[in-house]
This record gives sequence, structure tokens and C-alpha cells, in this order.
Amino acid sequence: MNRFKNTRTILMVLFALLALAVPALAQDGGEVTADDVNAIAKKMYCPVCENIPLDVCGTAACDQWRDEIRIQLEQGFTEDAIISDFVSRYGDRVVGTPQDPTLRALSLVTPWLIGALVVILAGFGLLRWWRGRGTRAALAPAGAPASDDDYRARLERDLQGRR
Amino acid sequence: MLAEIGLVSTFLAFVMALYAIVIAIIGGRRHAERLIVSARNAALLTSVLLLVATGALVAALMTEQYQLSYVWSVSDPATPPFYRFTALWGSQKGSILFWSLLMSLFASAALLINWRTHRRLMPYVIAYTMATLAFFIGLVLFFENPFERWWLVGSEAVSTALIPAGAAAPAADRLAETANGLNPLLRHFGMIIHPPMLYLGFVGFVIPFAFAMAALASGDLSTNWIKATRRWTLVAWLFLSRGLLLGGRWAYDVLGWGGYWGWDPVENAAFLPWLIGTAFLHSVMIQEKRGMLKVWNMFLVIGTFSAVIFGTFATRSGLIDSVHSFARSEIGFPMFFFWTIISLISAGLIVWRWNRGELKDDHRFVNILSRESLFVLNNVVFVLLFIAIFWGSFGAPVVSELFMNENITLGTDYFLRVTPPLFVALYILMGIAPLSAWGATSLRRLGRSLIVPLALTAVLLVALVITQHTTDPGALFGYGIVSLAGFVALYETYRGATARRKSLGESWPRAVVALFARNRRRYGGYVVHLGITIIGIGVIGSTLFQQQTQRTLTVGETLDFGGYSLRYDGFTDAIAEDGRRMQIADVTVSRGGQELARLRPRQDIYPTMPMTIAGSYSTLEADYYVLLVGWEETSAQSATFKVYINPLINLVWWGGVILILGTLIGTWPTETVPAQLRQAAVVVNGRARAKA
Repeated sequence: MNRFKNTRTILMVLFALLALAVPALAQDGGEVTADDVNAIAKKMYCPVCENIPLDVCGTAACDQWRDEIRIQLEQGFTEDAIISDFVSRYGDRVVGTPQDPTLRALSLVTPWLIGALVVILAGFGLLRWWRGRGTRAALAPAGAPASDDDYRARLERDLQGRR
Repeated sequence: MLAEIGLVSTFLAFVMALYAIVIAIIGGRRHAERLIVSARNAALLTSVLLLVATGALVAALMTEQYQLSYVWSVSDPATPPFYRFTALWGSQKGSILFWSLLMSLFASAALLINWRTHRRLMPYVIAYTMATLAFFIGLVLFFENPFERWWLVGSEAVSTALIPAGAAAPAADRLAETANGLNPLLRHFGMIIHPPMLYLGFVGFVIPFAFAMAALASGDLSTNWIKATRRWTLVAWLFLSRGLLLGGRWAYDVLGWGGYWGWDPVENAAFLPWLIGTAFLHSVMIQEKRGMLKVWNMFLVIGTFSAVIFGTFATRSGLIDSVHSFARSEIGFPMFFFWTIISLISAGLIVWRWNRGELKDDHRFVNILSRESLFVLNNVVFVLLFIAIFWGSFGAPVVSELFMNENITLGTDYFLRVTPPLFVALYILMGIAPLSAWGATSLRRLGRSLIVPLALTAVLLVALVITQHTTDPGALFGYGIVSLAGFVALYETYRGATARRKSLGESWPRAVVALFARNRRRYGGYVVHLGITIIGIGVIGSTLFQQQTQRTLTVGETLDFGGYSLRYDGFTDAIAEDGRRMQIADVTVSRGGQELARLRPRQDIYPTMPMTIAGSYSTLEADYYVLLVGWEETSAQSATFKVYINPLINLVWWGGVILILGTLIGTWPTETVPAQLRQAAVVVNGRARAKA
């Protein structure tokens, strides 16, 4: 019986020590700093001011949002989960790149598509010049101005305009 | 009285501009010299009238005429005289009047300077410049009138340009008591100069546009319009570049976020015309030298003007906030209408001349490595950058709101994903194109010219690895690409000077000076490239290696960060002369135990908003940038600081100075008649007069 009592006392002391140690350990490894909050806030935008990142905005609304981020970090939420939570509540406007797949594709892919189109057009133009080079060289010496006929026709039109 | 003077002068300027448009077109069609001269005189008169109108508004600001609702909204009795003057562009109404004045001055100068040399283009130049001016004066008169006054109609206060029936003037002291004062954000040196610089850049691009349209309308499609506008384009580009740089500096000093470029739509709206304008500056050289890209240059000059008008429209109409606020804005629709009409007319003129076969190129591209081909590639990259930035700033937000009912913001993430490859391509082209020749260049010859700049770049990179321990591959790649462009500019100058030394036996300084004097545009351009290189190095350093932290310190406590120590020494609460409350933290920055600087980061509390003003210890190596972001309210025993270490950031400003210097060299007039010949002409004239 005594032995059992002793074991129980030892276990209770161990539990008590453990209970004291847990918060201390949690603080050591998982304390949320202002830098942690700002690292996430930097990727978000102020709910009040236009186009100001959340980490640098000084409004009261932004202070509240940063506090919310801090609380969620303390509760163990990941960066993605926190951002998704804000997006679900306030819409895609709160992030620098939309999370919605359609909007994200629209935002990120469109400029490349337009760009590719421009490059293709430019390439096509260059190719046409490249191919036409031989024919033109045969017809007229490089650097020669437009033909006399063209020039005369243009002159005639100008003179007609002045009459 | 000042309101009446301003209003009548503005109205007369509007009438004169309309008169000039009609008479110039009739005169141009009929070749009636008398009418064209009359139109020119009317155009010149707009400058005088707008000077009077602007003078009246400035006088009202300086003499505290708070009955003018504009004066009431941008100043108050505590506003210092200097800021009273700068309040002219402190809000929309005044800034549109100021814009109109600058435009009329630019138009007058362009007309006077080119009157004799480009007579055929003049009627249409008058018509286009005055059409743009009339539109902006129309905005001033009918939508954003800075000469409106406060009136009491019964018990209600109304702001109108004309006196309402049964109205009485409000008491002057009551108006002074309630006056708004200047927006605190505008009380900074950078912001004082930044808007006029941007406006000068914007209105400056109206001149090449007007000459290009005049060439299309008149049929004089030779290089005359390019010769007439070369310097105007450079001047506009110079002002726009200065405006952008000063805007960046203002953001760095005043906005309190540790950076200079936030990819904000308002910033981007000013950057877009710069991109297309820079493409035009390069492309127009091909037309001058080789008679090529005539249609493309027309599109670029229209694109630049369109970007100017669109940027102004987007930032002033509320479009950036939301498409709905654009509809609510008074000037939204008129600006959109003007932008659409002017773009359509311009594009229509190009198509018309093209169909008539008048925009055919004199030469063709014969070699992919020729300078003109590389310039075309440079143009393609500029256009791609324009598209990417336009899409991120305006396209995606407007499309998503209009068609998907979703309000989105594309932030730094987007721009840092999309633009870097394009900037890399630009720097590569900037490094290669100056080494290629007009017409044709062989790969071998181009490769040989690149050996020295490439070797210098390799040496620099090795030095960076050894001395600065830079091992980040992205950074080394970036530094390499950017510095290659700079070394090419230096090497080309060196080669030119060496050639002069060999052939003429000149000393080094004399050879370099003579080289710049002989071809200011080319070597000024190399100096600009050098400036852009230095800016690029600054941007890479400050973007990739920026460090930041935020910490709360008690008095006497020290923060060790990035090799520096910051000690919080104390707190001061003060009231400035202009009435703002200043909360100042005293901090000491040291490194390796040696005190470097005592800084005073502060928050200025205005009735309308607080402002965070950084304390900064600046060296060429880095900025140690401290912001006061919070403090313990009762005793200020503890305060929260945000600290940034921004490596190489000062290279951005110094690169900007070099860019401006290079543009000034390129813009400086070249003597067309040698001094000896001019002297001989003076002697001959003197003899002729003596004989007479």
C-alpha cells in the first residue's frame, strides 16, 4: 500500500513538473513575434486604404487585422490557413494575387498569353522580312528609296490636294 | 475679384483654343497664311490667359481667400507661405489648371521654335495641341473649377462658380476656422517637385504626338516631324524620369514602408508612358537612320500620348478604386470619351496613310543581329512590360470587377513574378545593341566586341563572391546582366576616345570631351545606360538583400540586428510651428561598438492623419532605416521600432542623377554651323552692311 502511495506521489510530482514545463517550452519554441505577423501581413492588403500592404499600414483596422493574425498564429494556424480565412471572409481583394483558381489564372496567365501573341506577331514580321530579303535584293538595290512610280503617284496626290 | 479674373481668363483661354483649332484647320486646308498666323496667335494667347488665371489662383492662395472653395480645401491659416504656393497642385482642381498652363506653355514654345522650319506641319500642330488644351480647360471650367466660391443660400452653404440668386458671402473668419489645410502627405520636398515634373513629362509628350499627327494630316511623312520633336521627346522623357525618381524618393521618406516602389496603380500609371516613350526614343532612331518602322513609330507616339491621357484618367477618375467610382466621378466619362476619340482619330489617320502606301519603309531588315533588329526586339520587350504592368494595375482589376463581380488587387507578388524576365531581357539587349552596327553585323564581330565587357563583368562577379561573399545565384546573375550593360557603355566610350587619341593625338580628357561634343546624343545615351545600370544594381541589392525586423524596446535597451545595434534613448513629445504634434524617439545606431548616428524617427500627428517619418543612417553600402511604429502611451518607457537594412539603395538615387545628366547631354543643342563658319558669316555680313 505504501509502495503504491509512494508511486502515486512521484507521479503527481512528475505531472506537476510537466504542467509547469509545458508553457515554458511552448514559449521557447513557438512565441509569435511581430516579425512572424508581418511576414504574413506583407502578403495581404489593407481593408481600408487602397493598395497599401497590411504590414505597413497604420490604420486602426489594420492593427486589428494584425492582431487577428497574431491570435491565429498563436492558435497554431499555418500561413496559408490564415490567408485563406481572410479571403473567405473579405474576398480576394485582401491578397496580392487572388486565391480563386479562375481569378488567379486570369491574373497570372493573361499577360503571358498576350505577350506570347505579341512575340509571335513580331516573329512573324521578322520572318516575313527575312524571307522577302532575297526577292527584294533582286528587284532593287538595298537602301534604294521607293520606286519612281510610287513617288510620282504620291506627288500627284499631294498636288491634287493643293489644287 | 481674384475669382472673377481667374474665371474670365480661363474662359477666354478656352475660347481662344477653340478658335485656334477651327482657324488652323481651315487655314491648313486653304493654305491661307493669314488664317494660320491668326490661329498661332490665338494659341500663344492661351498661355498668357492661363498665366493670368493661374496667377489669380496663386494670389488667392497666398492672400488666404478662403471664400474660394479650392483655397479653403487645400490651405488654412497655419499653412506656411511656401506650401500655400505648392497647394496650387495640391488637389485635383488646381492641378488640372496647372496642367493646362504647362501644356499651353509647351505648345507655345513648340510653335515659336518650329514656326519657320516646319511651316507645313504647323496648322495641324496647332489643331492637335489646342484640341488637347481645350479639353483640359473645359474640365477646369465645367467639372473641376478652382474658382468656385462658398455662398450661403438660406442656411445652406454651396460652392459655385457663378453667384446664386439671393446668396450671401459667408463670414471670412468662420471660413478660416474651418479650412482644411494641405494634405500632410504633400508636405515634403519630393512631393513639391514631383507633381510638376510628372506634369511636364506628361504634357511634353503631347508635342511629339501633335507633330506626328500633323505629319499624318498634312502628308509630310518625311523625317521632318521626327527632327522637329527629337529634343521635345527627350525633354519630356527627362521630366518624366525625374518625376518618377522624385516620387520614389518621396515614398521612401514619407510613406514609411521602407521601400521606394510599391507597384501601386498610381505609380504604374506614370511608369507606363515612360515605358512606351523609351521604346519610341529608341525606335525613332531607326526611322531617322534607315527610314524604317514608320507605322510602328506612329503607333508608339500615339501609344505614349494615350498612356499619358489614360494614366491621368485612371488616377483622377476613381477607376483605380473601383469601376463604379469611375462612373460616379465627374471627370471619368469626359476623360474616357476624349481618350477614346483621340485614339480612334489617330489610329484612323495611320490606317488611311498606310492604305495610300505612304508609310512604306525605305529599307528592310537584312540581319537579325543588326542594330535595328535588336532595337525592334527592345521595343517588343518594352511593349510586353507595358502590357504586363497595365494588366496588373488596371486590366485584371477592372475585368474581374466588371465580368466576375469580384474586386481584386494585384500586388507586388504579381509584378515580381511577371516583370523580372522582361527586365532581364531589356538589360541583355541594352548590353548587346550598342555593339552591333546599322544594317548588318556578323555573330563573330559581335562576339569579339563583347569579349572585354564580358571579361570585366566576370571580374566584378568574382570580386563580389570573394569580398562580399555574395553566393546567391539569382543575385549574381542579376548583377552580371545589369553590369554587362554598364560595361558596354563604358567600353564603347573608351573605344571612341582611343580612336580619337590614335588619329588626332589628343589627351584622354580632351578626347572624351570631344567625343561627347561630336555626338551628344549617342554618348549621352551611353551615360543614360550607365545610370540605368547603377539603378539596376541598387534595385537588385535593395530588393534581394533587404532585412527587416520589428521590436519593442524599453529606454536604454538595445536591438542587435544585421550587424548594427540600435539603442532606445528616450522620447520627446513636441508641437511644431505649423500646429502638428510630433512624437519623436531618440535612438543611437552603432556598429562594432562605434557610434554611427543619432536618429530621431517620429510620427507627425495631423488632425486628418498620422505620418510616419523615418530616421535613416545612409551610406553607399546601405541605409539603416528606422520607423517609430508605436509607444507606451503614458510614459513612453517602451517604444516599438521597425528597422530596415536596405543595401545599395542609394545607388538608385545616384543612378537617377547620372540618368538625368546623360539625358541633359543628349538633349543639349548641337551646333549645326561650325563656329569658324559663323564668324566668317559675321565678317561677310559686316562688310556687306559697310558697303551698303
